[in-house]
Amino acid sequence: MKKIKTLALSALFALTAVAAQAQTVDEILNKYFANTGGKDKWMAIKSIKMAGKMKMQAMELPITMMQAADGKIKMSANFQGKEFVQVAFDGTNAWNTNQMTMKAEKMEGEDTENIKRDAVGDFPDPFIDYKTKGYKVELEGKETIEGTECFKVKLTKKPQKVEGKEEENVVTYFFDAQNYVPIMSRTMVKKGPMKGMAQESLFSDYQDINGLVFPFTISYRMNGQTGQSITMEKIETNVSLDPKEFAFPDGK
Amino acid sequence: MNKINHLLQSSLKASLGFLGMVFINFSSLAQEAIPLKGDELFGTLRARQIGPALMSGRIVELEGHPTDARVMYVGAAGGGVWRSKDGGVTYQPIFDKHPQCIGAIALDPTNPDKNIWVGTGEIWTRNSVSVGDGIYKSTDGGDNFTKMGLEKSERISAIEIDPTNSNVVYVGVQGALWSASADRGVYKTTDGGKTWEKILYVDENTGCSELVMDPKNPNVLYAAFWEHRRTAWSFNSGGMQSALYKSTDAGKTWNKIHNGFPSGKLGRIAVAIAPSNPNILYSVIESETDATKGLYRSDDAGATWKRSNGDFELTVRPFYFSRIVIDPKNPDILLKGGLSGSISRDGGKTFRTLGAMHSDIHDFWFDINNSNQITTGTDGGVYRSWDGGSVFEMVKNLPVSQFYQVSLDNAKPYKIYGGLQDNGSWYGPSESPGGIENRDWFSVGQGDGFRVYRHPTKANIVYSEMQGAEYIWRYDTERRQSKIIKPLAEANEPKLRFNWNAAMNLSPAKPDRLYIGSQFLHRSDDMGETWVKISPDLTTNDPAKQQQENSGGLSADNSGAENHCTIFSVAESPLDENILWVGTDDGNVQVTTDGGKTWINVAANVPNLPKNTWAYQVEPSRFDKNTCYVVFEGHSSGDFTPYTYKTTDLGKSWKSIVTKDIPTFVRHIKEDLVNPNLLFLGTEMGLFITVDGGQNWSQFKNNVPPVAVHYIAIHPETNDLVLATHGRGIIILDDISPLRQITKEMVTKDVHFFQTNPTVVREDAAFAEGGDAGEYVGDNPSRVAKIIYYLKGRHTFGKMAIEVFDKDGKKVADLTPGKSKGINVVDWAYRLKPPKVAKAKTLSFGGFTSPRLPVGVYTIKMTKGTSTYEHKIELKADPNSMHTDADRAAQYETTMKLYAMNEQLASMVDQLDAMRDGAADRLAKNAKLKKMVEPSLKEFDALKETLVVTKGDNYVGAAEPQFREKLASLFSEISGYAGRPSNAQMANVKVLEERFNDAKTKIEGFKTNQLTKLNAQLLKLKMEEIKLRSLEEFLKADN
Repeated sequence: MKKIKTLALSALFALTAVAAQAQTVDEILNKYFANTGGKDKWMAIKSIKMAGKMKMQAMELPITMMQAADGKIKMSANFQGKEFVQVAFDGTNAWNTNQMTMKAEKMEGEDTENIKRDAVGDFPDPFIDYKTKGYKVELEGKETIEGTECFKVKLTKKPQKVEGKEEENVVTYFFDAQNYVPIMSRTMVKKGPMKGMAQESLFSDYQDINGLVFPFTISYRMNGQTGQSITMEKIETNVSLDPKEFAFPDGK
Repeated sequence: MNKINHLLQSSLKASLGFLGMVFINFSSLAQEAIPLKGDELFGTLRARQIGPALMSGRIVELEGHPTDARVMYVGAAGGGVWRSKDGGVTYQPIFDKHPQCIGAIALDPTNPDKNIWVGTGEIWTRNSVSVGDGIYKSTDGGDNFTKMGLEKSERISAIEIDPTNSNVVYVGVQGALWSASADRGVYKTTDGGKTWEKILYVDENTGCSELVMDPKNPNVLYAAFWEHRRTAWSFNSGGMQSALYKSTDAGKTWNKIHNGFPSGKLGRIAVAIAPSNPNILYSVIESETDATKGLYRSDDAGATWKRSNGDFELTVRPFYFSRIVIDPKNPDILLKGGLSGSISRDGGKTFRTLGAMHSDIHDFWFDINNSNQITTGTDGGVYRSWDGGSVFEMVKNLPVSQFYQVSLDNAKPYKIYGGLQDNGSWYGPSESPGGIENRDWFSVGQGDGFRVYRHPTKANIVYSEMQGAEYIWRYDTERRQSKIIKPLAEANEPKLRFNWNAAMNLSPAKPDRLYIGSQFLHRSDDMGETWVKISPDLTTNDPAKQQQENSGGLSADNSGAENHCTIFSVAESPLDENILWVGTDDGNVQVTTDGGKTWINVAANVPNLPKNTWAYQVEPSRFDKNTCYVVFEGHSSGDFTPYTYKTTDLGKSWKSIVTKDIPTFVRHIKEDLVNPNLLFLGTEMGLFITVDGGQNWSQFKNNVPPVAVHYIAIHPETNDLVLATHGRGIIILDDISPLRQITKEMVTKDVHFFQTNPTVVREDAAFAEGGDAGEYVGDNPSRVAKIIYYLKGRHTFGKMAIEVFDKDGKKVADLTPGKSKGINVVDWAYRLKPPKVAKAKTLSFGGFTSPRLPVGVYTIKMTKGTSTYEHKIELKADPNSMHTDADRAAQYETTMKLYAMNEQLASMVDQLDAMRDGAADRLAKNAKLKKMVEPSLKEFDALKETLVVTKGDNYVGAAEPQFREKLASLFSEISGYAGRPSNAQMANVKVLEERFNDAKTKIEGFKTNQLTKLNAQLLKLKMEEIKLRSLEEFLKADN
């Protein structure tokens, strides 16, 4: 892992930390990209591989995440030396590991379809060329998050299918008004027993990897209550990822 | 922002803190202003809501989705808006950023998934009703709401949306209840709420109490207008201005449609239009005579009306029950709100009373697909019938209970007491195994409940009261006997006047003492057996305000709710039992310094206060006996100004301590028990806190909606702040001691750790059953240790970490720091990570156990960028423990021995696997090794099969447990109990230890014999040697 350029970073943000004036949403996003390595650099990414730990109370699980520009994704956690895929998508099938049999099972058709709809557009960041992707972005004023004044930016992606019904697919991002990086995102859970609840992801420990700035810690809140967090130990970009890693292991 | 992160589904169970009292000397603290506000100060401090929902609370409005029967909205009198997306099994509050008093909810027929309108301000105008502040709109199905104006409407009765144009919306504004106001009538927007036009106005005393639209023709509207007024001592319903109007041109012109209605004064008018036949209308009229009151039907779209029925349920209390709901498919089936509610199946000719449920039915909803499925909104929550209204079941997870008061006891865990609007008096626990459930609450009084206290020293005695002190009970909760102990008028005494919510309080000095206020102050020193009147009439005794028999207007309504010229608040100084303060509902503040022999009315000394403003609460200081806080409250004369004053000279002079930070009227103030500059204010729209003696106030929002806070208590041992909310039950802010430590100097530091009392390591671990989706479960306080610190700014860039070290400097935990600006609370579960257990075919569930660390002092090390900060935190043994220190030491030692054995076994299996897989690999590459390797492989496999499970799955396909599973199970068992392991367990440790040593010997044997030989051979063959990881290498690796 490349050495973290903390000093250079703080200098960069000092420059942009001006009193927030009236801004358009594109200005906010442009500053965000400028402050995290530049849009060109983001667009040059073809794959991301991350390894870290998920913490939940006293538990600590090694996790790995992989994403490719063609929309393939895989996230798995290691329990007692066994790899459990939490979610994987190979372009056709979304799947995970059944906890009981420890075998791969396909996710519900609708969930697969929803992952497919988001997969390519969200890589490596949904805000890149959002118009071309058919995404909509709106600035909804300011809100204080974590005691910090933020721009509230509503991102509307392609609709999601929820129990047979097309529903709007909104993620709201809160960009720190001083330095233009998102410190939180919020989505409403659409399905399952938690439906209607707000799920929030808090981003912090932003650090430089090959000239791009990633949040190394993400903490999750459900309906305002803090739950688990993920801290990355290693983030690699443009590594080659074997398509077999993502493929649904038929018959296994 | 990485896609994958959004996919993580969380199953979160976090909770708030349990910390002891912190001893800090506050006498040195000057009242320096600390201008830090809101979340910038409070950070991630979070309250917990505990309901209860078993009695629930008053429901104003029900609204279902027009095409999706799974979706239902509930509007509560003081508890906001709740949405169900699952057919009514679970509900979520969706209006928590806005005032919680709801009048009307409407879904846009064109886009009912997205556009939801909420009008605030309840329209069932009982004495205790709260207020709204305008109309709100959501364009995302209720996830977010934006205010769309009508700020001065106070109460919104109806919202009708044009089904052909979402931007055209009509709003019925009932308006101000306690004052004249021109902000009422019918309003219309044609631009989605950006601008409003008042299209029908009668006068400043007459508001629109119902508005309906023809479902087939949006130009046709019916509007009921109601002349009414409430004061603190009277209510009037009716007048010459009450009327029913119709428009056929989208509200441009309106005509009275009274053909067939009674003449003279009219009161509240209900009106409804049949969804299946817009020519059929029903109306319920409040009029001057019994012969003309009741239900009217029109079959010609309001051109003519015919009276059909004047039954009790139709005419009872029109101000409270004026809702008619018609079956969407059958115009002859209709429901009418009432004491019990009633249903007609013959077009209104006859009615039958609805099946048993909580009384006072305000609204209904017919399922869109099945009219036998009826949902009702009552004074006691939401009910459902599946058989057309004969039998009802209660929805038991809507915690919209309306507390008037709260008090606490000194039990461990402490219990919470309070009385509720139309729902009796109760107590329940501050924590309970599995969470605080409906079944944890106990009834201690009937009727409307108000003030409830546990006797300070006799744990079986509870005092409670009902409305107007009709009864005051002393209840023995063990023997379950109640005695009525209210003071009664003596010979030649006037009738005793008690407020609806009559003053009652305990003495901080004498446990058996009790105070009750009528117009006199009564004191008992023997738990209510004997009463001594210790004051003259302390009120203004204004006869004009004592005509309750004539209250109600067209329909008499003498319930006691308007009793006036009474004592409302009484408190004895915690520092001097002879100093008593009394506040009366007609504006007097009386103080005595000689135990009631002489009284001085000091109200006239209060500056900038309108005369006769209700003295709502007296709060004598616990730091200085000349100091007292008084809250005045003028909303019942239409004055919503916040009034809170402090005197330091026994009432001779007063200083206002509210600022423009407080947006609405105040009902309660609570002085902190430790820091005199820390004050808590219960307002009609939320909890406000000052840390600088009232120079700056901040609303506390984290899990405390802007709900009416009627009463506040602080527990002296846990330092929990407990709120009686009038609509969201009990809300607890656990351990406020960090707020006591905020100073001006502190908020300038980059990082500041708060002092916390030692965390008690609780050893009780009850079996818990329950938590089914249909039942409300309130959060328990968290038992974990809290690391609480203040950050001057949010940490976003670079690394930040928190590590915990034991007394020997060994790291025992890595925590994820909170990074918010303001106060952060980080949980530390004081447990080690689970041991790394041997890899096998399946999971070892015992292996997921995290052993608890021993008590002692731990060092917290925070690394933030290049700076480090240290703080100490202490864990202490449970004082109620049944174990000795030696027991606990034996438990920990055995646990850790097994922990180490689990990890060593894991390493041994890792080495065995490496030998086995390495040997098999080399054999595959070179067949010459066959003779040497094959027997070894058999030996390796044979041993492994005894060490770990090598087949099966994690459920019913599980294989017979092997050594790993037995070792992990014993580890888990012993780890889970705080005391000495059983003899059987200790003997089993020995058995497993022998097996462990045996396995170890075998593996060491493999290493020295088979592996050494094989590696020598591999060297000869120029093949790669087989390498094994050491225990240390293995433990460091992820796999």
